Amino acid sequence: MITAVGLCPWPPVLVRELTGTDPVLPELRHACAKLVDALISTAPEVIFVVGPGPGTRTWAADSHLDLSLFAPLRRTSASSLPTPLGIGSYLLDQAQYEGRRVLQAVSTLASVGTCAGLGHRLATASDRIALLAMGDGSARRSLKAPGYLDTRARPFDATVIEALESADFRALERVSADLARDLMASGRIAWQTIAGALRSVPATVEVLYKDDPFGVLYFAGLYRPAGAVGPEA
Amino acid sequence: MNETPAPAGPRRVREPGVLRLGSRSFAVTDFAVMAIVNRTPDSFYAPGKTWDHTAALEYVDEAIAAGAHIVDIGGVPAHPGDEVAAAEEIRRTAPFIAAVRSAHPDLVISIDTWRHEVGREACAAGADLVNDSWGGWDKELVTAAAEFGAGYVCTHVGNQPPRTRPFRVTYQDVVAEVLTWTLSLAQRALDAGVEPARILIDPAHDFGKNTWHSLEITRRLDEMVATGWPVLVSVSDKDFIGETLDSADPEERLTGTLAAMSICAWQGARVFRVHSIPEAVETLKTVAAVRGDISPERVVRGEA
Repeated sequence: MITAVGLCPWPPVLVRELTGTDPVLPELRHACAKLVDALISTAPEVIFVVGPGPGTRTWAADSHLDLSLFAPLRRTSASSLPTPLGIGSYLLDQAQYEGRRVLQAVSTLASVGTCAGLGHRLATASDRIALLAMGDGSARRSLKAPGYLDTRARPFDATVIEALESADFRALERVSADLARDLMASGRIAWQTIAGALRSVPATVEVLYKDDPFGVLYFAGLYRPAGAVGPEA
Repeated sequence: MNETPAPAGPRRVREPGVLRLGSRSFAVTDFAVMAIVNRTPDSFYAPGKTWDHTAALEYVDEAIAAGAHIVDIGGVPAHPGDEVAAAEEIRRTAPFIAAVRSAHPDLVISIDTWRHEVGREACAAGADLVNDSWGGWDKELVTAAAEFGAGYVCTHVGNQPPRTRPFRVTYQDVVAEVLTWTLSLAQRALDAGVEPARILIDPAHDFGKNTWHSLEITRRLDEMVATGWPVLVSVSDKDFIGETLDSADPEERLTGTLAAMSICAWQGARVFRVHSIPEAVETLKTVAAVRGDISPERVVRGEA
């Protein structure tokens, strides 16, 4: 069963060690920490970190983000994960989570069926599972955005935000993978996994962050299944 | 992620030798200054300053008077923006190159482009060097350089399409990746018939790289020099300097530029693509004197 779902941004600027002297976005860091703490507080037996990667596979649970991929002087002996899982794992470590975790990459080519199917499997498993789904909206929202401006980006994101905020999971399943790719929106995988996990579960939504300070849409949202109960005493 | 199976350690592929550009020769220990001339209305530096034909010609005169050895002419900004078609790019550059060539018969002229059509017209108009700034994106550009007997710059941009920004880029070892790419382009240039003495390699700071990566390639520039190919660096007013100094305005990055240039020069880079010529010339002259490659102008103090 799903105890809670977090939709979490994964920009490398979330990692304090990568932003230099300036903390850059402490508000986003704080929102993501709050999100992760909320997941942990539902006392899951395992936290699934799900995000896009070069292929659909799990990574060893003790894998960590290799900071030297971004900042060569930060030499670590860490193995390298797809960055979305690396950031998710980093956030769990920052929250001092010591329980079980599964690091699940999903191919960027995966269909909505695959993503939603994964989400559904997590929801119907007997374990208490918290899902930390890593994904962002379009990176093409402004002239200064990493992906420059694509005028389709804001309307696309607006549709997604509407669906995320109203827990309209059918709408999330309809997001076009091709358009998401064109608009550099990595979140398609996360949104459709969440849709599968919560499809038949009424859930309350709390938006912890929603902004695009660098032309990339970051959306941090917490979903608690309505009537979710705590662990058996 | 960009991965590379490159071997560790220095890779000497040829003996360092004279760099020939146009009719000029640059010895191994010479520092050559390349002045940037953007024939665009919207380059990030002093937008439009060299857009007007007459103003641009005057700028070239000033740059040469200030000590520039090479003038690098480009018609399309490196950052994303409105599309500039090849025909327009040619219109912005080729006639101007012809005018510069006519005014300065021995000046080394370089064309900053990624397109073979533009390279051909530029070389036909008198360019001596093809600065293929997007890393061989158009495979025919190097062929055009060879056909016209021009030189060729082998650039690493991390597989980014032209005029795109890096997005969450990672490298197992950015310097190893830069070496693998530029050495492979250099081999391609040789195979296409570019004269060996006219080939340069350029790590291209900030192209497909974040600030940490650009600092690392600066720190380890000696590994590029160790290959034996002449190294061109373009650090002037770049964002990695802006982020190091928290200086958002590109025109306020001169001191950082000169520091990064000094570090590259100390390690043996040979060509420096810059906006501020007199400052670059003085900086390089100081480094050359510290290296012992040139004499100070005048020594009297302590010897009178």
